[in-house]
Amino acid sequence: MDNWKDFRKVFFTLMTPGTFWMLFFFVVPMGFLFVLSFSSKAIVNGETSILDYNYFSTITNYVDAAGSSYLVLLGRAVLWSAIATVVSLLLAYPLAFAVCFSSPKWRPILLLLLILPFWINLLIRTYALIQVMRTNGFLNQALGFFHLPQTDILFGTSAVIMGLVYVYLPFMVLPLYSTIEKLDKSYLEASLDLGASQPRTFWSVTLPLTMPGVITGIILVFIPCLGSFLTSDLLGGPNNWMIGNAIQNQFGEANNWPFGAALSFILMYATFFVLFVRAMLTRRSKGVDA
Amino acid sequence: MNNLKSNRRQLLKGAGAAMVGITLMPYKSMAAEEKKLNVYNWDTYIGETTLADFSSATGIEAKMDLFGSNDELFAKLKAGNPGYDVIVPSSNYIERMVKANMLMPIDHAKVPNIANLDKEFQDADFDPGRKYSLAYMWGTFGIGYRKSKAKATPDSWHLLLDDPTYAGRISIQGTAEFGFGIALKTLGYNWNSTDATELGKAKDLLIASKKNIKIFAKDNGQDLLASGDVDVCAEYSGDIVQVIKADTSNDLGYVIPKEGSNRWQDTVAIAAGAPHPENAHAFLNFILDGQNNANIVKTIGYATPNAAGRALMDDEYKNNHNIFPSAEQLALCDPGKYLGEDATKYRDELWTAIQAA
Amino acid sequence: MAARLKPGQGPLDYGSRLWLKILFALVLLFLYAPIASLIAFSFNVDKTGVWHGFTFQNYIKAWHNDAIFSALSNSLAIAFCSTIFSTVLGAMTALALWRFKFPFKTPFEGFLALPIVVPEICMGVALALFYSKTGMMTAVRDWIWPLNLINIIIAHIAFSFPFVAVVVRSRLVGFNRQLEEASKDLGATEWQTFTNVIVPFLMPSLVAGGLLAFTLSLDDFVITFFSSGPNSVTFPVKIYSMVKTTITPQINAASTVLIVITLLATFIAMKIQAPANPEKP
Repeated sequence: MDNWKDFRKVFFTLMTPGTFWMLFFFVVPMGFLFVLSFSSKAIVNGETSILDYNYFSTITNYVDAAGSSYLVLLGRAVLWSAIATVVSLLLAYPLAFAVCFSSPKWRPILLLLLILPFWINLLIRTYALIQVMRTNGFLNQALGFFHLPQTDILFGTSAVIMGLVYVYLPFMVLPLYSTIEKLDKSYLEASLDLGASQPRTFWSVTLPLTMPGVITGIILVFIPCLGSFLTSDLLGGPNNWMIGNAIQNQFGEANNWPFGAALSFILMYATFFVLFVRAMLTRRSKGVDA
Repeated sequence: MNNLKSNRRQLLKGAGAAMVGITLMPYKSMAAEEKKLNVYNWDTYIGETTLADFSSATGIEAKMDLFGSNDELFAKLKAGNPGYDVIVPSSNYIERMVKANMLMPIDHAKVPNIANLDKEFQDADFDPGRKYSLAYMWGTFGIGYRKSKAKATPDSWHLLLDDPTYAGRISIQGTAEFGFGIALKTLGYNWNSTDATELGKAKDLLIASKKNIKIFAKDNGQDLLASGDVDVCAEYSGDIVQVIKADTSNDLGYVIPKEGSNRWQDTVAIAAGAPHPENAHAFLNFILDGQNNANIVKTIGYATPNAAGRALMDDEYKNNHNIFPSAEQLALCDPGKYLGEDATKYRDELWTAIQAA
Repeated sequence: MAARLKPGQGPLDYGSRLWLKILFALVLLFLYAPIASLIAFSFNVDKTGVWHGFTFQNYIKAWHNDAIFSALSNSLAIAFCSTIFSTVLGAMTALALWRFKFPFKTPFEGFLALPIVVPEICMGVALALFYSKTGMMTAVRDWIWPLNLINIIIAHIAFSFPFVAVVVRSRLVGFNRQLEEASKDLGATEWQTFTNVIVPFLMPSLVAGGLLAFTLSLDDFVITFFSSGPNSVTFPVKIYSMVKTTITPQINAASTVLIVITLLATFIAMKIQAPANPEKP
C-alpha cells in the first residue's frame, strides 16, 4: 500500500470527486436532519406549530425513541433481516458458484438470468408477488389444479421474508459472483489433489478465499433489509411493522419529523454496530480488507 | 409542445433506452406566462377526458400527478411546493394545511361556478367562508362485503374488530386516523375523540382485533375485496361503489355500520407557491361547471356536492343509497377533524404500540 | 490468472452438478413466476387480477398515457446518467482506498458506507429539506428535460456510487500488485498502467457495479419521491401512487416494455464489454 504523500496528484484525483459528492449531497443534508432530531415543535400562540421548530432544544426525541414499542420494532427488523440474509446467502452462494463454473459461453447468460428480475422495479415485483400469493393467486390456482390444499401466506411474516429475499437477492449474488469469479482455481485443484474431500476443500479453501464477497453480500443485504418498509408495508399483515414503517409513519401521517429523524439516527447507530462487529470479525479472521 | 413530446416518443422508439440520457431534447418552453397547469390528485379521481376537455376549452395544457394519501400530499408540500397548482386534500387536512401556510386563498370572483354547489357545501367548519377550499366530492366510510360469504349483512363494526365470524378475512385501513376512528365508533365514542381513556380502550380493542384482521390495508381495501383476498373491508363509499359497478356477478355490497361512522369531503384547493394561480382558478371553475362535473361523476361514481352536475345524472346514480345514504345514517357519521399536533402525536404513539404489540 | 478448466472436466466442474441445476431451476422459477404473471396480466382485459381474456389494449393505452410515458422516459434518463457517474466515482474511490494509506482512513471508509447504511427515507427527507432550503427544488423545475431531473440524478449518484465502490473494492482485494509493478518496470506511465492493467482487471466488477447502480436507480422510490415534482415523476413514484389505490394493467404493460428495454440494453452492454474481457485470449 502506498503512502498518499508519495503520489499526491493521483491520490487527490481519485479522492476528490467522491468526497465532494458525499460532503455536499449527503453530509450537508444529513446535517439538516441531525439538527432536526434534536429539535421540538415550536409553540406559537399557545399552540403546537406544524412547521416551526425550536432547533437544538431537546433530547426528548431520543428518550421517546427508547420506548418499548420502538425497541420491539427494531428487534423485529433485526431478526427478519437476519433470516432474509441467511436465506439469500444459502441461495446465492451455490448459484454464484454454478455461474462461475459454467462454460464461458453460458456464464453471462446465467448471470443475467439471476440479475434481470431485479431490474424490474421493486414495487412492480412486490406487486407481482402479491398476484402470485394472494387468495385467488397463481400459487393457489396451481395447488387447486393438483387438488392440493390452499395456502394463505400473503400478508404475514413468511410473505415479508420471501419478499425481502426476492428483492435483495441480487445484492448477494453480484459480490459473490465478483469474488468467486476471480478465485484462483488452482488452489481448489491443489486441495483436491492432495486428498481433501469436496466438503473439506469448500470449508478450508473455497469459503475462506471468498469470504470478502460473502461479507460484502451480507452487508449489502442485511442493511437495506433493516431499514426497509415497503416490503412489510405491502406484503405484511397486522403484525408486520418493522422499524422502517415507524420511521415512515413519523414523516407521513404522524407529521413528527424531529422524532422520525431521531428514530432514523437510532437505526443508523444500530447499523454502525453491525458494521463494527463485521470489522472485528474480519480483523480476527483474515484481515482481507487491510 | 406536442411536437416536442412526440419527438421524445420517437427518440425512445428509435434509439432505445441507452440513448435517452445523452440527447438533450428541449422539453419546456421558457415563456414567462405559460399556458400550463399542474394538478396533484388521487388516482381514479377525475373524469377520463376532463383534462383534455379543459385544455381544448382554455388552451391551457393540464398535467396531473397522483398521490396515495393525504399524508403523502402533506409531506410533499411540507418540503416545499415543487410546482403544483391545484391539489385535492380531504376536509380534515384543510385546517392543518391552512395553519401550515400551504394553501393560497381562492378568489371567489374568478370561480362563479361556486354557485352550482349545494348550499350546505358553500360553507364549512374546517374552512369558514371556504376561503381556501371548494367541495369536490363527498362520501362516507363503511363496510364493503362479499354477499356470498356473508350470512347476514355485516352492518356492525364489531364484526370487524371483536367477532370471529370473519376471522382472517378482514381488512381495515391501516392508519391511526381510521384505525382509531373505527375502534372508537365500535365502542360508542366519537370518531375524533382525543380522550385518553377512550383512546386507551380503543387501543386495547385494536390489539385484540389483530388476530382476526388479515391486513391493515392502504386505500386498496376495495381491490382486496374484489379479488377475494378478504370478505369484509372498511373502505370509502366511493371506492366500494366503483367495484360494485365493475363486479359482473353482483356479489358485492356496501353498508354503513349501525354504530355510525365517518363522513368526509374531498376538496379542490390551490397550493401556496403555485406557479400558475390564474390557470388554477380557471380549472376550479371548469370542474365546478355542471356538465364537466357530471362527466367526472360518470367516471368515478362518487357523491357530488354539485347540484348542477347531479341534475344531469341518471336516477340510478341519484337514488343509489350507497352513494347518498339516508339522513338518519348520515347523522351517525362524524366528520373527520384536524385534532391538533399534540393529539395527533398522542394517537400516533398508541398506534405504534398497537403495531408493536 | 488461473488455468481455466474446460467444461465437463473433473471434480471442479460444479456447473454440471445435478443438485445445483435443480436449485438453479427452482430459484429461477421463484424469480420468474411472479414476473411471468405480471407480463401475462398485461394482456388481461380486466383489472381485478382475474383472467378475463386477451387484449393489446393496455399497451395502446399505456403508450398514449402521457403520465406513464413521461414517467418511463424520466426513469430511464435518470438511470442512465446516474449509472455512468456512479461507476466512475465509485471506481475512483475504491482505487484510492485500495492503493493508499492516509490519515483517518478507517473513519473515511465508514463515512463512505453511510449512504448504504442510512435508511432511504431518512436520506430522502434530508435531501428534500436540502433542496428546498437551498432553493434547488424550485430552481430546476423549469429547466429543459432531462436537466430538470438533475436533483434526482444527484441523489441517485449519492446513494449508488458507494455501492459501486464496495463491489470494485472486493475485486481489487485479489489484485496482484506485482502486475502493476511489472508494468511500471517495463516503462509504462501511471496512466498507461491504469488503462492497460488495472481497468481490464477491474472490468467485471465495473460491469457488475454499473449494473448494480442501474438497478438501484431504476428501483429507487423513496428518495426520488421526496425530490420529485410535477415534471419529474419517475416510474416507481407513478406506480406507488397506483399500487396504493388502484393499479391498472397499463402499468403491467409499461413494466413489460421496461423489461424488454432493459433486456436489450444489457445485451448491448455485454456485447460492448466482451472484447475487453481480459480473460479471453
